[in-house]
Amino acid sequence: MTLTADLEAGILAAADPARAPIVQLSNVVKTYKAGSQDVPAVKGISLDIRSQTFTMIVGPSGSGKTTLLNLIGCIDTPTSGTITIRGQNVAKLNDNAISDFRAQHVGFIFQNFSLIPVLSAWENIEYPLMLLGMPAAERRERATSMLEEVGLADQRRHRPNQLSGGQKQRVAIARALVKGPDFVLADEPTANLDSKTGAGIINLMRRMQEQYSTTFIFSTHDDHLMSHADETFSICDGLLVGNVSGGR
Amino acid sequence: MNKTMSHLILAVLVLMFVSSSAQTAKAPGEGPTALEVLQAADRVRNPAQPFKTTLALAEYVSGKERDRTSLIVYARQDPSSLQFNNLVRYAEPRRDAGKMVLFKGVNLWFYDPASEASVRISPQQRLLGQASEGDVLAVNLSRDYAARIIGEETLQDADRENRDCWHLDMAATTPDAVYSRIEYWVERSTYRPIKGKFYSDSGRLLKIAYYHKYQQQLGSFRPMETILIDGVNDKLATIIDNSDYLFQDIPEAWFQRDYLPRLRPE
Amino acid sequence: MLTLTIALRNIYRNTRRSLTTLATIALGAAAVSLFGAFITYIEYGVQTGAIQQTGHLQVFRTGYFDFGAASPAAWGMENYQAVLRLIKEDPEMKSLSTVVTPIQSLVGIVGSSENNTSKTFFGTGFVPSERDRMKQWNEYGTGSQGLKQSGLRDGDLLGGISGVGLVRILGLCRQLNLDECPTAPTVSGVGDAPARPPSVDLGELTKRDRPVGNAAQRDSEPTVDLLAATAGGAPNVVGLQITGVELQSAKELDDNYIGMNIGLAQNLVYGRGDHKATGIIVQLKRTEDMPRARARLSNLFKEHGLDLEVRDFTQLNPQYTQIIGLFGSIFSFISVIIGIVVVFTVSNAMSMSVVERTGEIGTMRAMGVRRKGIRHQFLVEGSLLGLIGATCGVVIAYIAAFGVNHSLLTWTPPGRVAPVPLILYMTGAYTLIALTWFGLAVISSLASMIPANRAGRMTVVDALRHV
Repeated sequence: MTLTADLEAGILAAADPARAPIVQLSNVVKTYKAGSQDVPAVKGISLDIRSQTFTMIVGPSGSGKTTLLNLIGCIDTPTSGTITIRGQNVAKLNDNAISDFRAQHVGFIFQNFSLIPVLSAWENIEYPLMLLGMPAAERRERATSMLEEVGLADQRRHRPNQLSGGQKQRVAIARALVKGPDFVLADEPTANLDSKTGAGIINLMRRMQEQYSTTFIFSTHDDHLMSHADETFSICDGLLVGNVSGGR
Repeated sequence: MNKTMSHLILAVLVLMFVSSSAQTAKAPGEGPTALEVLQAADRVRNPAQPFKTTLALAEYVSGKERDRTSLIVYARQDPSSLQFNNLVRYAEPRRDAGKMVLFKGVNLWFYDPASEASVRISPQQRLLGQASEGDVLAVNLSRDYAARIIGEETLQDADRENRDCWHLDMAATTPDAVYSRIEYWVERSTYRPIKGKFYSDSGRLLKIAYYHKYQQQLGSFRPMETILIDGVNDKLATIIDNSDYLFQDIPEAWFQRDYLPRLRPE
Repeated sequence: MLTLTIALRNIYRNTRRSLTTLATIALGAAAVSLFGAFITYIEYGVQTGAIQQTGHLQVFRTGYFDFGAASPAAWGMENYQAVLRLIKEDPEMKSLSTVVTPIQSLVGIVGSSENNTSKTFFGTGFVPSERDRMKQWNEYGTGSQGLKQSGLRDGDLLGGISGVGLVRILGLCRQLNLDECPTAPTVSGVGDAPARPPSVDLGELTKRDRPVGNAAQRDSEPTVDLLAATAGGAPNVVGLQITGVELQSAKELDDNYIGMNIGLAQNLVYGRGDHKATGIIVQLKRTEDMPRARARLSNLFKEHGLDLEVRDFTQLNPQYTQIIGLFGSIFSFISVIIGIVVVFTVSNAMSMSVVERTGEIGTMRAMGVRRKGIRHQFLVEGSLLGLIGATCGVVIAYIAAFGVNHSLLTWTPPGRVAPVPLILYMTGAYTLIALTWFGLAVISSLASMIPANRAGRMTVVDALRHV
């Protein structure tokens, strides 16, 4: 990143109310039941994630990092505490309401790409729009433009098993962003890619984040990715142990 | 049982014809009308008193004897309907002794002392066994038939003796009459029936009867032996011998079907 | 609709498993369809046979059906010719029926004097030309296989046909050129009563009245005597020349049956009384008109104050209903078994699919698909398997039926005496086949419900772990 851009980002951050927290966790606790035992994975974490940021959550394995991400991504519910996304308390929503919420507001990028194997690249990208009930013509138009954005216009009809890792992740990114979510959750997005491809993906994600003014929340071990972080939360043993801003 | 049944039925037939044979002496002069002949037959036929007789039946196939039965018959004429009612009891063979058949007009009941049950035999069922001997019931000649004298003929009787006879042709006048048509030969001088031929509705010959061995019994000359030849299967023949005619006071109760189990004839 | 696309493509995805499942469903559908066609053919064949023999409806004096067997002659219809005319001239009945003909049932004894044999018989007097016309009935195109014409002419009051068993019992096989006819062992008729010679020469007496020769007798045909009691109770006898033999389907019938001209039957059982008829047969053009015809007849009889009842061929042939019921039960049984097999096959295939796609389910849930949507996805897949399989099955059935129908396979149906070509009546079984198709599609959907529910119940986090 150039100095100029950094400075620009910093000024913007200070002045822009849109940088208000998009996700707010307040004393969130998550305990699992393993047989008769109670296993606490997250023991009481409070944090705010500001919008339009690249936010990292780092920590060793077993630290509760994945659990925290699941909670933020609304694919798990806390045992106690509140999770507020864009002002809405999602902890209280029932299963159908949360599914709908995810469909509208949350994008996912997985370590293993997780594309639907029987659908083509283009159809995979279309899928989330279909969930939102978007009419076919508009769906197609959006998906097509997304494909082009990630540079895969020629691979539109390819099935996932015909794409390379990097290409698959690009489709995933397109899929996550096509519906204009409030934030995108990416769990170790570059873990299955070589460094060069990984770098390309990171650049793409950054570009998309800026272009679509969206928030990216990562968990990663990738140093390169960590260097892009606007904010970093360190988790250890289910508790927040560190919070670093900047990094760019 | 069936053959027994046929025997009994035959026996009754014979009895009826025997009793109906004309017997009174004829006044000289003009020949009688057919009706007069019939009426004479009926007068003799009705001794006006109940009576009893013993019958011995012998059945022959192609001339060879096949069966022999002995029966006792009690006969009484119903005063109102003029029907002859008959109660027939088996005497021999031993296995059938005690079995009884009650004839009342067109109704026939068989009674077996072993089971103490009486069963009505329908006209269908009377065709069983030697079917051609079939359902031969008491024929009421003057009541049921209209006769004409169709000629005078010389006929050989059963003993090959020539007899001068009136040849009568009778047609049924009531639907209950068993035979549609009867041919009858009656000896002119004595009014004794010599031969009879009995026809079905279809015109087929059912039975041929020969009457002979006339003897004085119960105030009239009656044939002591009757020969019946089956018209449909002429290999079959039955010879019936009468004996021991007796006037006897027979209570009317004996001719009730329900009374049969309590019957203890002497 | 992406759900459908995903479903279809997933069927292609695991070719072997899908093919096995589809094959099971298809073969099941084909088997049930073909068997359905077979029993339809049987039903039509048996029905045709029954209607050729006894018509659709028979009119009797009220009470005859229940009580007339003991003495048919006592239950004759008064003035049957008027009833016959009434039915034939009614415009509605005229449009519905093919044959309206009288019959006279009778029981009696048939005897052969030359062989000294006799037997009880059940007989039917009919109008030969009309009876022969009844045998032409062929609404279902199964043909009038194996039913011979009577060979009698309408005015012929001497001839008749007999069951094969009856001929055998009477000892007349040779004269009628029947093969495989054993001769009865001679039973000694002479009793062991002490022989007393008769007082007269019976032979000579008998000879006096013996007829010289029967002018009306045709040489080669054996004559028998029919004895019966008339309606009035008198014994009656007629002669019959057996002109033909007709093997009956049931042994009891075959040992007892004599068919003759109705005039002869009436002569025998009514004698000098009024000639009646015990029944009037009504054969219709189409079986489906039967309720209408029956109602019309009932009205006609009520209008004219006639004490008559109408019975249909299922009542006259209880065996018909039994046969239909039997094959119907077998069909149900087979359908249930195949249904169970399909349930297990589809359920198993879908379960495996769900397990394999656990990660995918997690992804879809993460993307916001509701539990219901996951269930729906798998239900659609299971239903598709059912639809495709059932359709293939029906197609296979039609092809197989075509092959069988054009082959030379034959079989002998119950109630018939001769083998007939084996036809699988696909057209007639059209409803059964449609139901089979529909049933299997529904069963497949139901079978995929449990695996689909299991898929729907998965928690997102657990599912994603399997990616």
